Amino acid sequence: MYSVLKPCKTSAAFEAIPRERFTLDLDLCEDIFRKVCTIITHAGIMLIVSDQCEVSIHKDGRLILKTDSGDVAREQAGRIAGWLEGTPAIRKHRDSGSLKK
Amino acid sequence: MSLPLNIQFPAVRTDLCFAGGSIIMKLISLISGGIDSPVATYLMIRRGVEIVAVHMDNRPFTDEKNLDKTLNLVRHLRTLTGTPIKTYVVPHGPNHITIARNCNRHLHCLFCRRMMYRIAERIAEREGADGILTGESVGQVASQTLQNLSVVNRAIKYPVIRPLIGFDKEEIITIARKIGTYEISTLPGLCCTIVPKQPSTAAKPEDVLNEESKIDIDSLVEKSLEGMYVFGPEAL
Repeated sequence: MYSVLKPCKTSAAFEAIPRERFTLDLDLCEDIFRKVCTIITHAGIMLIVSDQCEVSIHKDGRLILKTDSGDVAREQAGRIAGWLEGTPAIRKHRDSGSLKK
Repeated sequence: MSLPLNIQFPAVRTDLCFAGGSIIMKLISLISGGIDSPVATYLMIRRGVEIVAVHMDNRPFTDEKNLDKTLNLVRHLRTLTGTPIKTYVVPHGPNHITIARNCNRHLHCLFCRRMMYRIAERIAEREGADGILTGESVGQVASQTLQNLSVVNRAIKYPVIRPLIGFDKEEIITIARKIGTYEISTLPGLCCTIVPKQPSTAAKPEDVLNEESKIDIDSLVEKSLEGMYVFGPEAL
């Protein structure tokens, strides 16, 4: 689900970009994540949760993983993908295409 | 065309700041962990102005490294200039949440800045300060166009002092390097993650006021003031 993981320009976090275009229903995401991690806040346009690190989850699926460890970021992105995969919180676009090669 | 930059850095001129034995100006400096605001603060301390620093804590939309950097920058300025700096830390994250949930996304940075100004003005009243000091310069980011600066100015009555207004980024970095703040400002720290992808560069005052009418500004300011904490002038 998340194939691209790149450090933010300030090196304080990593950004995970979805492999395919989709939109997240953050209200449903909140319901799902409440069972598996800690909700920090739901700001409408993004959801912030805490698990192995703090993560900002955007409606377009982008994740900002607040850790300077690439390993932690990669594992955290995988956990979030696992929690979301196959749930109604993900709405894939009809023209769903690869965002990054 | 590139203009030569020739800025001298004399020691702090305490002789400039006394008129009949009292300090003639006190400013509330809105200081972040970035490059510009510490430079603006230094330039005004150098002119003998007494500074009270205010840091707007944007967590959870940034990380704790930004707060650490800011406190280190204040500590550095204090050591560099020999002037103690009282420092307030104000929770700003809840304001972001309310704005994001209720107001036009493209105007977010303007609402954020107007809230910061309002809070700084309230602290200025408490501290008996004469104005607000910022590191803004024209055109540096979307919220700092002349039109947007005009819109944020209207949020408060106090004067806003912007010593960097005509500087370009390279000039500001040159000063930051000379005074030793650049190395601290460029340490890792997460930028604000709630900044919209397409922020407005030419907001209309009436649009901003209409959007702000959707939220209880006074209540947000009060809650921010209730949640703030302070480091005494010698604490950092």
